[in-house]
Amino acid sequence: MFLALREIRHEKLRYGLIVGMIVLVTYLVFVLSGLAYGLAQQNTQALDTWDASKIALNSDANDSLSQSLITKQTTDKLSLTKHEAYVGQAGVVAKAKGQAKLSAQFLGIQKNQFIYHRLTTIAGHKPTTNHQILVDDSFKDNGYRLGDKVTLNSLTGKYQIVGFTHNAKLSVAPVVYGTLPTWRSLSHVTPTYQAGGIVSDRSTFKGAESSLRTLSLSQFINKLPGYSAQNMTFSFMIGFLMIIAMVVIAVFLYILTMQKLPNYAVLRAQGIPAKVLVTTTITQALLLVVGGLLIGAGLTALTVSVLPFGVPLAFNVPLLVGVTGGILLTGVIGALIPVRIILRVDPVSVIGG
Amino acid sequence: MMPTLALKNVNKTFGHGTNEVQVLTGVNFEAVAGEVSLVIGPSGSGKSTFLTIAGGIQTPTSGEVLVEDRSLLALSGKARDAFRLNQIGFILQAYNLVPYLTVADQFTLVDRVKKQGNLSTTELATLLEQLGIAELTQQYPGELSGGQTQRVAIARALYQNPEIILADEPTAALDSDRVKVVGSLLHDLAKQHHKAIVVVTHDLRLQEFADKTYKIMDGRMTLS
Repeated sequence: MFLALREIRHEKLRYGLIVGMIVLVTYLVFVLSGLAYGLAQQNTQALDTWDASKIALNSDANDSLSQSLITKQTTDKLSLTKHEAYVGQAGVVAKAKGQAKLSAQFLGIQKNQFIYHRLTTIAGHKPTTNHQILVDDSFKDNGYRLGDKVTLNSLTGKYQIVGFTHNAKLSVAPVVYGTLPTWRSLSHVTPTYQAGGIVSDRSTFKGAESSLRTLSLSQFINKLPGYSAQNMTFSFMIGFLMIIAMVVIAVFLYILTMQKLPNYAVLRAQGIPAKVLVTTTITQALLLVVGGLLIGAGLTALTVSVLPFGVPLAFNVPLLVGVTGGILLTGVIGALIPVRIILRVDPVSVIGG
Repeated sequence: MMPTLALKNVNKTFGHGTNEVQVLTGVNFEAVAGEVSLVIGPSGSGKSTFLTIAGGIQTPTSGEVLVEDRSLLALSGKARDAFRLNQIGFILQAYNLVPYLTVADQFTLVDRVKKQGNLSTTELATLLEQLGIAELTQQYPGELSGGQTQRVAIARALYQNPEIILADEPTAALDSDRVKVVGSLLHDLAKQHHKAIVVVTHDLRLQEFADKTYKIMDGRMTLS
Protein backbone atom coordinates (compact mmCIF):
# COMPACT_ATOMS: atom_id res chain seq x y z
CA MET A 1 0.00 0.00 0.00
CA PHE A 2 2.83 2.38 0.96
CA LEU A 3 4.68 2.05 -2.35
CA ALA A 4 1.43 1.96 -4.34
CA LEU A 5 0.07 5.17 -2.81
CA ARG A 6 3.37 7.03 -2.96
CA GLU A 7 3.82 6.18 -6.63
CA ILE A 8 0.30 7.30 -7.53
CA ARG A 9 0.84 10.55 -5.61
CA HIS A 10 4.11 11.22 -7.39
CA GLU A 11 3.00 10.21 -10.89
CA LYS A 12 -0.28 12.10 -10.91
CA LEU A 13 -0.58 12.59 -14.66
CA ARG A 14 0.29 9.02 -15.56
CA TYR A 15 -2.08 7.48 -13.03
CA GLY A 16 -4.67 10.20 -13.66
CA LEU A 17 -4.83 9.04 -17.27
CA ILE A 18 -5.31 5.43 -16.22
CA VAL A 19 -8.02 6.38 -13.73
CA GLY A 20 -9.62 8.56 -16.42
CA MET A 21 -9.75 5.59 -18.74
CA ILE A 22 -11.22 3.37 -16.01
CA VAL A 23 -13.77 6.12 -15.22
CA LEU A 24 -14.92 6.19 -18.84
CA VAL A 25 -15.20 2.41 -19.06
CA THR A 26 -16.99 2.27 -15.70
CA TYR A 27 -19.33 5.08 -16.69
CA LEU A 28 -20.17 3.35 -19.94
CA VAL A 29 -20.74 0.01 -18.20
CA PHE A 30 -22.94 1.63 -15.52
CA VAL A 31 -25.01 3.57 -18.04
CA LEU A 32 -25.39 0.56 -20.34
CA SER A 33 -26.33 -1.66 -17.39
CA GLY A 34 -28.83 0.98 -16.25
CA LEU A 35 -30.30 1.20 -19.72
CA ALA A 36 -30.46 -2.58 -20.05
CA TYR A 37 -32.17 -2.90 -16.69
CA GLY A 38 -34.43 0.09 -17.32
CA LEU A 39 -35.55 -1.24 -20.67
CA ALA A 40 -36.01 -4.74 -19.29
CA GLN A 41 -38.12 -3.27 -16.50
CA GLN A 42 -40.26 -1.33 -18.92
CA ASN A 43 -40.96 -4.55 -20.76
CA THR A 44 -42.26 -6.26 -17.67
CA GLN A 45 -43.15 -3.66 -15.02
CA ALA A 46 -46.88 -4.32 -15.21
CA LEU A 47 -46.37 -8.09 -14.96
CA ASP A 48 -44.08 -7.65 -11.96
CA THR A 49 -46.79 -5.84 -9.98
CA TRP A 50 -49.12 -8.81 -10.41
CA ASP A 51 -46.65 -11.13 -8.64
CA ALA A 52 -47.84 -13.99 -10.84
CA SER A 53 -46.16 -17.33 -11.52
CA LYS A 54 -47.93 -18.86 -14.52
CA ILE A 55 -49.89 -17.83 -17.56
CA ALA A 56 -52.07 -20.00 -19.79
CA LEU A 57 -52.52 -18.91 -23.40
CA ASN A 58 -54.14 -20.32 -26.49
CA SER A 59 -51.71 -22.95 -27.78
CA ASP A 60 -51.85 -21.41 -31.27
CA ALA A 61 -50.94 -17.92 -30.02
CA ASN A 62 -47.17 -18.48 -30.22
CA ASP A 63 -46.88 -17.58 -26.51
CA SER A 64 -48.13 -14.03 -27.19
CA LEU A 65 -50.84 -12.63 -24.95
CA SER A 66 -51.96 -10.11 -27.55
CA GLN A 67 -52.48 -12.92 -30.07
CA SER A 68 -54.20 -15.28 -27.66
CA LEU A 69 -57.95 -15.82 -27.39
CA ILE A 70 -59.55 -18.21 -24.93
CA THR A 71 -63.23 -19.12 -25.34
CA LYS A 72 -65.77 -19.29 -22.54
CA GLN A 73 -66.27 -22.93 -23.50
CA THR A 74 -62.64 -23.58 -22.55
CA THR A 75 -62.67 -21.58 -19.31
CA ASP A 76 -65.89 -23.28 -18.20
CA LYS A 77 -64.04 -26.59 -18.18
CA LEU A 78 -61.34 -25.22 -15.88
CA SER A 79 -61.77 -25.05 -12.16
CA LEU A 80 -60.29 -21.61 -11.50
CA THR A 81 -59.72 -20.29 -8.01
CA LYS A 82 -59.08 -16.90 -6.47
CA HIS A 83 -55.45 -17.45 -7.49
CA GLU A 84 -56.32 -17.13 -11.17
CA ALA A 85 -57.31 -14.06 -13.16
CA TYR A 86 -58.39 -13.36 -16.73
CA VAL A 87 -56.49 -10.88 -18.79
CA GLY A 88 -56.75 -9.63 -22.35
CA GLN A 89 -54.14 -7.51 -24.15
CA ALA A 90 -54.58 -5.18 -27.10
CA GLY A 91 -52.31 -2.53 -28.54
CA VAL A 92 -54.06 0.87 -28.56
CA VAL A 93 -53.50 4.48 -29.46
CA ALA A 94 -54.99 6.73 -26.79
CA LYS A 95 -56.06 10.28 -27.55
CA ALA A 96 -57.73 12.94 -25.47
CA LYS A 97 -58.85 16.31 -26.69
CA GLY A 98 -55.95 18.72 -26.72
CA GLN A 99 -53.43 16.00 -25.83
CA ALA A 100 -50.88 14.12 -27.91
CA LYS A 101 -51.63 10.60 -29.07
CA LEU A 102 -50.02 7.92 -26.93
CA SER A 103 -49.30 4.36 -27.96
CA ALA A 104 -50.19 2.03 -25.12
CA GLN A 105 -51.04 -1.53 -24.18
CA PHE A 106 -54.62 -2.06 -23.07
CA LEU A 107 -55.06 -4.79 -20.48
CA GLY A 108 -58.56 -5.94 -19.81
CA ILE A 109 -59.01 -7.41 -16.33
CA GLN A 110 -61.87 -8.55 -14.15
CA LYS A 111 -62.86 -6.58 -11.08
CA ASN A 112 -63.22 -9.48 -8.65
CA GLN A 113 -59.88 -11.14 -9.51
CA PHE A 114 -56.39 -10.89 -8.00
CA ILE A 115 -54.79 -8.68 -10.66
CA TYR A 116 -57.40 -6.03 -10.00
CA HIS A 117 -56.90 -6.36 -6.26
CA ARG A 118 -53.11 -6.01 -6.57
CA LEU A 119 -53.24 -2.83 -8.61
CA THR A 120 -52.33 0.26 -6.66
CA THR A 121 -53.24 3.82 -7.54
CA ILE A 122 -51.19 6.94 -7.00
CA ALA A 123 -54.21 9.14 -7.79
CA GLY A 124 -57.92 8.47 -8.29
CA HIS A 125 -59.36 4.98 -8.11
CA LYS A 126 -59.55 1.70 -10.01
CA PRO A 127 -62.09 1.40 -12.85
CA THR A 128 -65.50 0.15 -11.82
CA THR A 129 -67.38 0.37 -15.13
CA ASN A 130 -66.64 -0.44 -18.76
CA HIS A 131 -65.98 3.20 -19.64
CA GLN A 132 -63.44 3.84 -16.95
CA ILE A 133 -59.70 3.27 -17.25
CA LEU A 134 -56.70 3.29 -14.92
CA VAL A 135 -53.54 4.41 -16.71
CA ASP A 136 -49.80 4.42 -16.14
CA ASP A 137 -48.47 7.67 -14.67
CA SER A 138 -46.53 8.39 -17.86
CA PHE A 139 -49.93 9.58 -19.20
CA LYS A 140 -49.84 12.18 -16.46
CA ASP A 141 -46.32 13.19 -17.48
CA ASN A 142 -47.66 13.67 -21.01
CA GLY A 143 -50.33 16.09 -19.85
CA TYR A 144 -53.27 13.77 -19.27
CA ARG A 145 -55.38 14.48 -16.19
CA LEU A 146 -57.89 12.63 -14.05
CA GLY A 147 -61.30 12.88 -15.65
CA ASP A 148 -59.93 13.23 -19.20
CA LYS A 149 -62.08 11.43 -21.74
CA VAL A 150 -59.93 9.29 -23.98
CA THR A 151 -60.63 7.56 -27.29
CA LEU A 152 -58.95 4.21 -27.86
CA ASN A 153 -58.11 3.36 -31.47
CA SER A 154 -61.07 4.04 -33.68
CA LEU A 155 -63.70 3.02 -31.16
CA THR A 156 -66.48 5.55 -30.94
CA GLY A 157 -66.82 5.34 -27.17
CA LYS A 158 -64.93 7.56 -24.74
CA TYR A 159 -63.10 6.19 -21.73
CA GLN A 160 -62.59 8.30 -18.66
CA ILE A 161 -59.29 8.27 -16.80
CA VAL A 162 -60.34 7.58 -13.21
CA GLY A 163 -56.94 6.76 -11.79
CA PHE A 164 -53.17 6.74 -12.29
CA THR A 165 -50.94 3.86 -11.34
CA HIS A 166 -47.14 3.75 -11.04
CA ASN A 167 -44.76 1.41 -12.88
CA ALA A 168 -47.31 -0.02 -15.27
CA LYS A 169 -45.52 -0.68 -18.52
CA LEU A 170 -45.62 -3.63 -20.84
CA SER A 171 -43.33 -4.04 -23.86
CA VAL A 172 -41.98 -0.53 -23.13
CA ALA A 173 -45.45 1.00 -23.58
CA PRO A 174 -47.65 2.48 -20.85
CA VAL A 175 -50.51 0.26 -19.76
CA VAL A 176 -54.18 1.20 -19.81
CA TYR A 177 -56.16 -0.99 -17.43
CA GLY A 178 -59.84 -1.46 -18.29
CA THR A 179 -62.43 -4.16 -18.32
CA LEU A 180 -62.63 -7.36 -20.34
CA PRO A 181 -65.69 -6.15 -22.32
CA THR A 182 -63.65 -3.13 -23.45
CA TRP A 183 -60.81 -5.46 -24.42
CA ARG A 184 -63.30 -7.49 -26.50
CA SER A 185 -64.38 -4.31 -28.28
CA LEU A 186 -60.78 -3.32 -28.95
CA SER A 187 -59.95 -6.82 -30.19
CA HIS A 188 -63.14 -7.03 -32.23
CA VAL A 189 -64.13 -10.34 -30.70
CA THR A 190 -67.50 -11.55 -29.56
CA PRO A 191 -68.43 -12.30 -25.94
CA THR A 192 -67.85 -16.01 -26.67
CA TYR A 193 -64.22 -15.21 -25.93
CA GLN A 194 -63.58 -14.92 -22.20
CA ALA A 195 -60.04 -13.49 -22.23
CA GLY A 196 -56.65 -13.59 -23.90
CA GLY A 197 -54.97 -15.47 -21.12
CA ILE A 198 -55.33 -16.83 -17.61
CA VAL A 199 -52.77 -15.64 -15.10
CA SER A 200 -52.12 -17.52 -11.87
CA ASP A 201 -50.03 -16.74 -8.82
CA ARG A 202 -49.70 -20.45 -8.07
CA SER A 203 -46.57 -22.14 -9.38
CA THR A 204 -48.52 -25.40 -9.64
CA PHE A 205 -51.19 -23.96 -11.93
CA LYS A 206 -51.72 -25.69 -15.26
CA GLY A 207 -54.43 -24.86 -17.78
CA ALA A 208 -55.47 -28.48 -18.22
CA GLU A 209 -57.01 -28.10 -21.65
CA SER A 210 -55.55 -29.20 -24.94
CA SER A 211 -56.22 -25.79 -26.48
CA LEU A 212 -54.14 -24.10 -23.78
CA ARG A 213 -50.43 -23.86 -23.26
CA THR A 214 -49.17 -22.95 -19.78
CA LEU A 215 -45.93 -21.03 -19.36
CA SER A 216 -44.03 -19.80 -16.37
CA LEU A 217 -44.00 -16.02 -16.21
CA SER A 218 -40.26 -15.92 -16.93
CA GLN A 219 -40.83 -18.04 -20.07
CA PHE A 220 -43.61 -15.69 -21.08
CA ILE A 221 -41.41 -12.61 -20.47
CA ASN A 222 -38.59 -14.06 -22.53
CA LYS A 223 -41.04 -14.49 -25.39
CA LEU A 224 -42.09 -10.83 -25.27
CA PRO A 225 -41.23 -9.29 -28.65
CA GLY A 226 -37.62 -8.11 -28.70
CA TYR A 227 -37.06 -8.76 -24.98
CA SER A 228 -34.44 -11.53 -25.21
CA ALA A 229 -32.66 -10.00 -28.19
CA GLN A 230 -32.45 -6.64 -26.42
CA ASN A 231 -31.12 -8.16 -23.19
CA MET A 232 -28.64 -10.31 -25.06
CA THR A 233 -27.38 -7.27 -26.98
CA PHE A 234 -26.83 -5.32 -23.78
CA SER A 235 -25.21 -8.32 -22.06
CA PHE A 236 -22.77 -8.70 -24.95
CA MET A 237 -21.97 -4.98 -24.93
CA ILE A 238 -21.35 -5.01 -21.18
CA GLY A 239 -19.35 -8.25 -21.41
CA PHE A 240 -17.16 -6.88 -24.20
CA LEU A 241 -16.66 -3.65 -22.29
CA MET A 242 -15.52 -5.63 -19.26
CA ILE A 243 -13.05 -7.58 -21.41
CA ILE A 244 -11.81 -4.36 -23.02
CA ALA A 245 -11.43 -2.82 -19.55
CA MET A 246 -9.40 -5.83 -18.43
CA VAL A 247 -7.15 -5.73 -21.50
CA VAL A 248 -6.59 -1.97 -21.21
CA ILE A 249 -5.83 -2.18 -17.47
CA ALA A 250 -3.53 -5.14 -18.08
CA VAL A 251 -1.70 -3.31 -20.90
CA PHE A 252 -1.27 -0.18 -18.78
CA LEU A 253 -0.02 -2.16 -15.80
CA TYR A 254 2.25 -4.21 -18.03
CA ILE A 255 3.84 -1.06 -19.47
CA LEU A 256 4.14 0.51 -16.02
CA THR A 257 5.64 -2.67 -14.58
CA MET A 258 8.15 -2.90 -17.41
CA GLN A 259 9.22 0.68 -16.70
CA LYS A 260 9.62 -0.12 -13.01
CA LEU A 261 11.65 -3.31 -13.45
CA PRO A 262 15.06 -1.66 -12.83
CA ASN A 263 13.70 -0.28 -9.52
CA TYR A 264 12.20 -3.61 -8.66
CA ALA A 265 15.51 -5.29 -9.46
CA VAL A 266 17.29 -2.92 -7.05
CA LEU A 267 14.70 -3.60 -4.37
CA ARG A 268 15.01 -7.35 -4.94
CA ALA A 269 18.80 -7.06 -4.68
CA GLN A 270 18.31 -5.36 -1.33
CA GLY A 271 16.22 -8.26 -0.17
CA ILE A 272 12.76 -6.73 -0.49
CA PRO A 273 10.59 -9.84 -0.91
CA ALA A 274 8.91 -10.32 -4.29
CA LYS A 275 5.65 -10.65 -2.31
CA VAL A 276 5.89 -6.97 -1.33
CA LEU A 277 6.31 -5.92 -4.97
CA VAL A 278 3.47 -8.17 -6.15
CA THR A 279 1.20 -6.87 -3.39
CA THR A 280 2.13 -3.33 -4.38
CA THR A 281 1.15 -3.96 -8.01
CA ILE A 282 -2.17 -5.58 -7.11
CA THR A 283 -2.96 -2.92 -4.48
CA GLN A 284 -2.16 -0.24 -7.00
CA ALA A 285 -4.49 -1.81 -9.57
CA LEU A 286 -7.24 -2.07 -6.98
CA LEU A 287 -6.76 1.57 -5.91
CA LEU A 288 -6.94 2.70 -9.53
CA VAL A 289 -10.00 0.59 -10.27
CA VAL A 290 -11.79 1.56 -7.04
CA GLY A 291 -10.99 5.23 -7.70
CA GLY A 292 -12.24 4.88 -11.28
CA LEU A 293 -15.36 3.08 -10.07
CA LEU A 294 -16.20 5.77 -7.52
CA ILE A 295 -15.74 8.61 -9.99
CA GLY A 296 -17.60 6.62 -12.67
CA ALA A 297 -20.47 6.00 -10.25
CA GLY A 298 -20.56 9.69 -9.34
CA LEU A 299 -20.60 10.64 -13.02
CA THR A 300 -23.42 8.15 -13.62
CA ALA A 301 -25.43 9.62 -10.72
CA LEU A 302 -24.87 13.08 -12.19
CA THR A 303 -26.01 11.87 -15.60
CA VAL A 304 -29.14 10.30 -14.13
CA SER A 305 -30.00 13.59 -12.42
CA VAL A 306 -29.82 15.57 -15.66
CA LEU A 307 -31.23 13.00 -18.07
CA PRO A 308 -34.50 14.00 -19.68
CA PHE A 309 -37.64 12.23 -18.53
CA GLY A 310 -38.41 9.13 -20.50
CA VAL A 311 -34.88 7.72 -20.80
CA PRO A 312 -35.33 4.24 -19.38
CA LEU A 313 -32.39 4.25 -16.99
CA ALA A 314 -32.89 2.22 -13.83
CA PHE A 315 -30.60 0.57 -11.30
CA ASN A 316 -30.95 -2.01 -8.60
CA VAL A 317 -28.53 -3.12 -5.90
CA PRO A 318 -27.75 -6.64 -7.21
CA LEU A 319 -27.07 -5.20 -10.67
CA LEU A 320 -24.77 -2.50 -9.31
CA VAL A 321 -22.97 -4.98 -7.06
CA GLY A 322 -22.55 -7.37 -10.01
CA VAL A 323 -21.21 -4.71 -12.36
CA THR A 324 -18.91 -3.24 -9.69
CA GLY A 325 -17.64 -6.70 -8.75
CA GLY A 326 -17.08 -7.50 -12.42
CA ILE A 327 -14.99 -4.38 -13.01
CA LEU A 328 -12.99 -4.99 -9.81
CA LEU A 329 -12.38 -8.57 -10.87
CA THR A 330 -11.21 -7.53 -14.33
CA GLY A 331 -8.86 -5.03 -12.66
CA VAL A 332 -7.37 -7.73 -10.45
CA ILE A 333 -7.00 -10.13 -13.39
CA GLY A 334 -5.35 -7.33 -15.35
CA ALA A 335 -2.97 -6.70 -12.46
CA LEU A 336 -2.09 -10.38 -12.14
CA ILE A 337 -0.73 -10.54 -15.69
CA PRO A 338 2.54 -8.65 -14.96
CA VAL A 339 3.04 -10.56 -11.68
CA ARG A 340 5.03 -13.24 -13.48
CA ILE A 341 7.44 -10.59 -14.73
CA ILE A 342 7.88 -9.21 -11.20
CA LEU A 343 8.54 -12.68 -9.80
CA ARG A 344 11.20 -13.27 -12.44
CA VAL A 345 12.93 -9.92 -12.14
CA ASP A 346 16.69 -10.45 -12.00
CA PRO A 347 18.52 -8.39 -9.36
CA VAL A 348 21.80 -9.18 -11.12
CA SER A 349 20.73 -6.84 -13.92
CA VAL A 350 21.29 -3.76 -11.75
CA ILE A 351 24.82 -4.70 -10.70
CA GLY A 352 27.12 -4.13 -13.59
CA GLY A 353 30.43 -2.73 -14.66
CA MET B 1 39.53 -13.91 13.75
CA MET B 2 36.58 -15.59 11.97
CA PRO B 3 35.80 -13.77 8.73
CA THR B 4 32.33 -12.24 8.47
CA LEU B 5 32.20 -13.06 4.76
CA ALA B 6 34.33 -15.62 3.00
CA LEU B 7 34.47 -16.98 -0.54
CA LYS B 8 36.35 -20.23 -0.88
CA ASN B 9 37.63 -21.45 -4.24
CA VAL B 10 34.67 -19.87 -6.03
CA ASN B 11 34.29 -20.47 -9.76
CA LYS B 12 31.62 -19.00 -12.00
CA THR B 13 30.99 -20.01 -15.55
CA PHE B 14 28.42 -18.59 -17.95
CA GLY B 15 27.18 -20.34 -21.11
CA HIS B 16 27.85 -23.83 -22.39
CA GLY B 17 30.17 -25.57 -24.83
CA THR B 18 31.93 -23.18 -27.17
CA ASN B 19 30.05 -20.22 -25.60
CA GLU B 20 31.33 -21.04 -22.12
CA VAL B 21 33.00 -18.13 -20.35
CA GLN B 22 34.86 -18.55 -17.09
CA VAL B 23 34.17 -15.30 -15.21
CA LEU B 24 35.64 -16.21 -11.83
CA THR B 25 38.41 -18.72 -11.29
CA GLY B 26 39.31 -20.08 -7.88
CA VAL B 27 38.44 -16.90 -6.00
CA ASN B 28 39.34 -16.84 -2.34
CA PHE B 29 38.28 -13.82 -0.36
CA GLU B 30 37.77 -12.82 3.24
CA ALA B 31 36.09 -9.75 4.74
CA VAL B 32 36.43 -9.19 8.44
CA ALA B 33 34.23 -7.05 10.70
CA GLY B 34 35.92 -3.73 11.37
CA GLU B 35 37.74 -3.64 8.05
CA VAL B 36 37.28 -2.09 4.64
CA SER B 37 38.20 -4.54 1.87
CA LEU B 38 38.73 -3.03 -1.53
CA VAL B 39 38.37 -5.09 -4.72
CA ILE B 40 39.97 -3.24 -7.59
CA GLY B 41 39.76 -4.28 -11.19
CA PRO B 42 38.97 -2.97 -14.64
CA SER B 43 35.64 -3.39 -16.42
CA GLY B 44 34.98 -7.01 -17.36
CA SER B 45 37.39 -8.36 -14.77
CA GLY B 46 34.58 -10.18 -12.91
CA LYS B 47 34.19 -7.82 -9.95
CA SER B 48 30.41 -7.39 -10.38
CA THR B 49 29.94 -11.15 -10.59
CA PHE B 50 32.04 -11.45 -7.46
CA LEU B 51 29.80 -8.89 -5.73
CA THR B 52 26.53 -10.64 -6.72
CA ILE B 53 27.87 -13.98 -5.50
CA ALA B 54 29.11 -12.44 -2.24
CA GLY B 55 25.67 -10.87 -1.74
CA GLY B 56 23.74 -14.06 -2.40
CA ILE B 57 22.13 -12.77 -5.58
CA GLN B 58 23.91 -15.29 -7.77
CA THR B 59 25.20 -18.76 -6.99
CA PRO B 60 28.69 -19.85 -8.01
CA THR B 61 29.26 -22.78 -10.36
CA SER B 62 31.44 -24.28 -7.64
CA GLY B 63 32.99 -23.22 -4.38
CA GLU B 64 31.56 -21.96 -1.13
CA VAL B 65 30.25 -18.67 0.24
CA LEU B 66 30.27 -18.43 4.02
CA VAL B 67 28.71 -15.77 6.20
CA GLU B 68 29.94 -16.09 9.76
CA ASP B 69 30.89 -19.64 8.90
CA ARG B 70 27.41 -20.57 7.66
CA SER B 71 26.94 -21.56 4.04
CA LEU B 72 24.96 -18.98 2.08
CA LEU B 73 24.38 -21.48 -0.71
CA ALA B 74 22.44 -23.79 1.61
CA LEU B 75 19.77 -21.13 2.11
CA SER B 76 16.48 -21.18 0.21
CA GLY B 77 15.52 -18.27 -2.05
CA LYS B 78 13.33 -16.71 0.65
CA ALA B 79 15.99 -17.15 3.29
CA ARG B 80 18.52 -15.50 0.98
CA ASP B 81 16.09 -12.54 0.53
CA ALA B 82 15.89 -12.26 4.30
CA PHE B 83 19.66 -12.53 4.56
CA ARG B 84 20.14 -9.65 2.10
CA LEU B 85 17.51 -7.58 3.88
CA ASN B 86 18.92 -8.13 7.37
CA GLN B 87 22.65 -8.57 6.93
CA ILE B 88 23.69 -6.91 3.71
CA GLY B 89 23.63 -3.28 2.70
CA PHE B 90 24.03 -2.79 -1.01
CA ILE B 91 25.35 0.43 -2.42
CA LEU B 92 24.73 0.02 -6.12
CA GLN B 93 26.11 1.78 -9.14
CA ALA B 94 22.53 2.10 -10.44
CA TYR B 95 21.64 3.70 -7.09
CA ASN B 96 19.27 2.02 -4.71
CA LEU B 97 16.61 4.69 -4.73
CA VAL B 98 12.96 4.42 -5.68
CA PRO B 99 12.21 7.43 -7.93
CA TYR B 100 8.74 8.11 -6.55
CA LEU B 101 9.78 8.17 -2.89
CA THR B 102 11.19 11.23 -1.16
CA VAL B 103 14.53 10.79 0.59
CA ALA B 104 12.66 10.41 3.91
CA ASP B 105 10.33 7.82 2.39
CA GLN B 106 13.30 5.75 1.15
CA PHE B 107 14.02 5.04 4.83
CA THR B 108 10.33 4.54 5.66
CA LEU B 109 10.24 1.81 3.01
CA VAL B 110 13.05 0.00 4.84
CA ASP B 111 11.10 0.33 8.11
CA ARG B 112 8.06 -1.22 6.44
CA VAL B 113 9.85 -4.39 5.36
CA LYS B 114 12.46 -4.62 8.11
CA LYS B 115 10.78 -3.79 11.36
CA GLN B 116 13.79 -4.05 13.68
CA GLY B 117 17.47 -3.32 13.74
CA ASN B 118 17.46 -0.20 11.58
CA LEU B 119 19.19 3.02 12.64
CA SER B 120 17.39 5.16 15.20
CA THR B 121 16.05 8.59 14.23
CA THR B 122 19.03 10.25 15.91
CA GLU B 123 21.54 7.93 14.24
CA LEU B 124 19.89 8.57 10.86
CA ALA B 125 20.01 12.34 11.43
CA THR B 126 23.72 12.11 12.26
CA LEU B 127 24.36 9.98 9.19
CA LEU B 128 22.51 12.41 6.90
CA GLU B 129 24.43 15.28 8.47
CA GLN B 130 27.75 13.47 7.92
CA LEU B 131 26.86 12.92 4.27
CA GLY B 132 25.69 16.50 3.80
CA ILE B 133 22.17 15.56 2.77
CA ALA B 134 20.21 16.47 5.91
CA GLU B 135 18.36 19.21 4.05
CA LEU B 136 17.24 16.95 1.25
CA THR B 137 14.78 14.69 3.07
CA GLN B 138 11.69 15.99 1.24
CA GLN B 139 13.30 15.87 -2.21
CA TYR B 140 12.66 13.18 -4.81
CA PRO B 141 15.68 11.43 -6.38
CA GLY B 142 14.90 13.18 -9.67
CA GLU B 143 15.48 16.52 -7.96
CA LEU B 144 18.96 15.57 -6.71
CA SER B 145 22.33 15.91 -8.40
CA GLY B 146 24.33 12.77 -9.22
CA GLY B 147 26.51 13.22 -6.14
CA GLN B 148 23.56 13.86 -3.84
CA THR B 149 21.78 10.78 -5.22
CA GLN B 150 24.84 8.67 -4.58
CA ARG B 151 25.09 9.90 -0.99
CA VAL B 152 21.40 9.23 -0.36
CA ALA B 153 21.90 5.75 -1.79
CA ILE B 154 24.77 5.21 0.64
CA ALA B 155 22.62 6.42 3.55
CA ARG B 156 19.80 4.15 2.37
CA ALA B 157 22.12 1.11 2.45
CA LEU B 158 23.56 2.02 5.85
CA TYR B 159 20.14 2.66 7.35
CA GLN B 160 19.43 -1.09 7.48
CA ASN B 161 22.40 -1.29 9.86
CA PRO B 162 23.78 -4.36 8.08
CA GLU B 163 26.77 -6.38 9.23
CA ILE B 164 28.18 -6.47 5.73
CA ILE B 165 28.18 -3.61 3.26
CA LEU B 166 28.76 -4.41 -0.38
CA ALA B 167 29.40 -1.34 -2.45
CA ASP B 168 29.52 -1.28 -6.24
CA GLU B 169 31.48 1.78 -7.41
CA PRO B 170 30.15 3.98 -4.56
CA THR B 171 32.22 6.99 -5.62
CA ALA B 172 31.63 6.85 -9.35
CA ALA B 173 29.72 10.15 -9.46
CA LEU B 174 31.60 12.01 -6.75
CA ASP B 175 34.29 14.67 -6.78
CA SER B 176 37.48 14.23 -4.78
CA ASP B 177 36.15 16.00 -1.69
CA ARG B 178 33.06 13.80 -1.61
CA VAL B 179 35.18 10.71 -2.22
CA LYS B 180 37.05 11.58 0.96
CA VAL B 181 33.76 12.01 2.85
CA VAL B 182 32.42 8.67 1.62
CA GLY B 183 35.75 6.92 2.10
CA SER B 184 36.05 8.23 5.65
CA LEU B 185 32.45 7.30 6.37
CA LEU B 186 32.98 3.72 5.18
CA HIS B 187 36.20 3.55 7.14
CA ASP B 188 34.54 4.93 10.32
CA LEU B 189 31.60 2.57 9.92
CA ALA B 190 33.97 -0.35 9.75
CA LYS B 191 35.93 0.77 12.78
CA GLN B 192 33.28 2.30 15.03
CA HIS B 193 30.34 0.05 14.18
CA HIS B 194 32.29 -3.09 13.49
CA LYS B 195 31.04 -3.60 9.93
CA ALA B 196 32.63 -5.70 7.23
CA ILE B 197 32.81 -3.42 4.22
CA VAL B 198 33.56 -4.65 0.73
CA VAL B 199 34.01 -2.04 -1.99
CA VAL B 200 34.24 -3.06 -5.62
CA THR B 201 35.70 -0.21 -7.62
CA HIS B 202 38.23 0.98 -10.10
CA ASP B 203 38.55 4.27 -8.17
CA LEU B 204 42.09 4.19 -6.76
CA ARG B 205 41.30 7.25 -4.60
CA LEU B 206 39.59 4.88 -2.17
CA GLN B 207 42.75 2.87 -1.51
CA GLU B 208 43.84 5.14 1.35
CA PHE B 209 40.70 4.14 3.31
CA ALA B 210 41.09 0.38 2.80
CA ASP B 211 42.54 -2.08 5.30
CA LYS B 212 43.29 -4.53 2.54
CA THR B 213 43.09 -4.46 -1.21
CA TYR B 214 42.34 -7.32 -3.55
CA LYS B 215 43.06 -7.07 -7.22
CA ILE B 216 40.91 -8.88 -9.72
CA MET B 217 41.92 -9.49 -13.31
CA ASP B 218 40.33 -11.93 -15.77
CA GLY B 219 38.39 -13.56 -12.95
CA ARG B 220 41.43 -14.24 -10.77
CA MET B 221 41.72 -12.48 -7.44
CA THR B 222 44.90 -11.72 -5.56
CA LEU B 223 45.51 -10.02 -2.25
CA SER B 224 47.95 -7.19 -2.71
